[in-house]
Amino acid sequence: MPNYETRLRRTGISRRTALMGMSAGVATLAMPRLGRAADDTIRIGFPTPLTGPFAAEARDQVKCAELAVKLVNDKGGVAGRKVELLVRDDKLNAGEAATRTLELIEKDKVHAIVGALSSAVQLAVNEVTRARGVIYVSISQSDTINEVKDFSKYTFHEALNPHMTTAAVARQTIKKGMKVAHLVADYAYGHEMLRGFKRAQTAIGAESVGEILHPFGAADYSTFMPRLMSLRPDVLCISNFGRDQANAIKQAVDFGIKQQMKIVVPVILHNQRLAVGPDVFEGVVGGANYYWGLETQNKTAAEFNKAFRAANGGAIPTDYGAYGYSGVGSLLQAMQAAGGTDTDKVIAVLEGLQYDLTKGPQHYRKCDHQSVQSVLVLESKKKSAMASENDLFAIVASDPGADEMLRSCGELGHAT
Amino acid sequence: MTVHSTGEAPPLPQAQRLFALLADHRVLVSLVALALLPWLLPSKALAVNVLIYGVVVMGYNLLFGYTGLLSFGHAAFFGTGAYLTGIAIGRWGLPWFAAVPLAIAASMALAALIGTISTRTRGIYFSMVTLALAQLVYYVALQASSFTGGENGLRGFTVDHIGLFGAQVNFLDPVNKYYVLMVLAAIAIWVQSRILNSPFGAVIEAIRENEQRARACGYDVERCKLIVFMLSGAISAVGGCMSALHLSIVPLDILHYQTSGMIVMMVLLGGARSFFGPFVGAAVFLILEDVVSLWTPHWQIVVGAIFVVFVLFLPKGIWGTFLDVLPLARQRR
Repeated sequence: MPNYETRLRRTGISRRTALMGMSAGVATLAMPRLGRAADDTIRIGFPTPLTGPFAAEARDQVKCAELAVKLVNDKGGVAGRKVELLVRDDKLNAGEAATRTLELIEKDKVHAIVGALSSAVQLAVNEVTRARGVIYVSISQSDTINEVKDFSKYTFHEALNPHMTTAAVARQTIKKGMKVAHLVADYAYGHEMLRGFKRAQTAIGAESVGEILHPFGAADYSTFMPRLMSLRPDVLCISNFGRDQANAIKQAVDFGIKQQMKIVVPVILHNQRLAVGPDVFEGVVGGANYYWGLETQNKTAAEFNKAFRAANGGAIPTDYGAYGYSGVGSLLQAMQAAGGTDTDKVIAVLEGLQYDLTKGPQHYRKCDHQSVQSVLVLESKKKSAMASENDLFAIVASDPGADEMLRSCGELGHAT
Repeated sequence: MTVHSTGEAPPLPQAQRLFALLADHRVLVSLVALALLPWLLPSKALAVNVLIYGVVVMGYNLLFGYTGLLSFGHAAFFGTGAYLTGIAIGRWGLPWFAAVPLAIAASMALAALIGTISTRTRGIYFSMVTLALAQLVYYVALQASSFTGGENGLRGFTVDHIGLFGAQVNFLDPVNKYYVLMVLAAIAIWVQSRILNSPFGAVIEAIRENEQRARACGYDVERCKLIVFMLSGAISAVGGCMSALHLSIVPLDILHYQTSGMIVMMVLLGGARSFFGPFVGAAVFLILEDVVSLWTPHWQIVVGAIFVVFVLFLPKGIWGTFLDVLPLARQRR
């Protein structure tokens, strides 16, 4: 058996070091237990993908959600109670999001959950919250969450859904007798958008000439472009999200597709347009829930922009950011009206709530808790037409919210 | 545990006997340590995750640490265990106690299939074949969306109450859930210990040390590799069943190769070839991720740096190094 000295030389770890290490470890574990919030605070859990490909959109969501909480706290809180936002990184992973949501409910005792930024992740969060009777306001696009299988009375969907978005975009860009081709990301988001576009074009009387699926996160689209051009469509619908959108449009422009056909996307993303530049996006049309330029025609948008600028050093709010504001904002309004956090009372108020936080009147439809709201259709401006650095889009249309925009309650499987 | 005896003095015979006693009852000692876990960690959800990944990595360690086969596709068994538990409960309406054995058996069958193909190769080729076959399972789950929920994940099989000896236990309560799942973990730990203590356990270690020699001794190396592959897959699948019951969803990411990579990282962190190392690795990895990401969105830098430090300075992993420093343990581990 080697003596103590040789052992020390070999491992370089003395008993004292080991003990110090262990106490540091125990202290680390104990840290989160300290400094718990006082019990009368209203806590809102906010899981969002702070890391990963949608991080830019997620950071905007957090900024806007924090603004909504700050404005309420400045006015004395909800029913005299302070509101606290607990932001957690869900890493764009459904399992991680479910774990974080469990932690928020079991350990942090949150009163409601708002957030998530992917179809799969929001469905995972929804599964956890509905089993435990916690209100969840989803702020990311999905058609599935409205359907009866995933719905519960605790589930609210503040974001637009693919059905509404594609219908509004198709109405502005596709005419009777046109030929339409589709380039679609091969995952839930892309499939739902494709389904929406096809339904809209059938109603309009346009013809589909082909669909090409590309893998999620693809960097190279050069093999798809010649095939799309040989289909000779009048309109090309590119249904993908985040960086995929920027990459696909960039390569389509390189192939000269814009000279041959119009490029249309279901959701035109503020951050992706900023990342790529005006020349590539010029003339691309897409839907949006919010655009800051709405402030010239809408009083609420002007107020929201003003509050956001004041809190963020003059920056403007983005599309996905606005969801964070209206999602948290509508929930806090309902809690205020319900006089507290009693779940059943808050749900009853939310079901009848008329709110106007970012762009005009909105309400949650009773059968599926989908937020009925206006859909914007935007066209990316060319460089010479931009009045300022942030003057990205022209507003082609702003369809006011109406129940007719949604699939009917019966079609979703709800009792009517 | 026996830290007081690491000093200059020659080890006390009592302490040595104590350690021998602990080592002989490693299943019991592991279970006591795991039973304390929910009260030591910041949250119960984290403790359940440590338990789940601990079992998965322990099953993986049977193949990697004890037989010396670096599989890069264990997500397939973890995921199949989870998916089949969910499908059996949600779609076929089976009770959870029937769904779990079914899922384990199915994962074992899958392991037999993948094992038959992959154990014919060795070294890096073995890793690549397991990776490729596991990706195949991933794409099957992605495409068969009417069955698995596809990209959106499997949902709709929440187990909220569990009947135990006539009593209804609220399974949504985090403490109840932890201890119910610990029963499954305990069975897995006991089985693993039995395998390692059996003559078969000695044979797989012999294969790791010198395959030619084991063959020369008359052991059927191919058959042993296949059997250990199946056992390893089955034990990892237990973790999958626990994960499905815990989260009440099965995310598609569970089958992704990143999950396989995470399993390898955990075993390296905790220490391959040690019985309790996988649990230590899973705990350290998950706690770091959980706690650091609360402080900063740049948690990946911190966690990555710590992992590099561990790999550079503790090649035997945390638990392996700890047992090395402990002079009493050097004889038996």
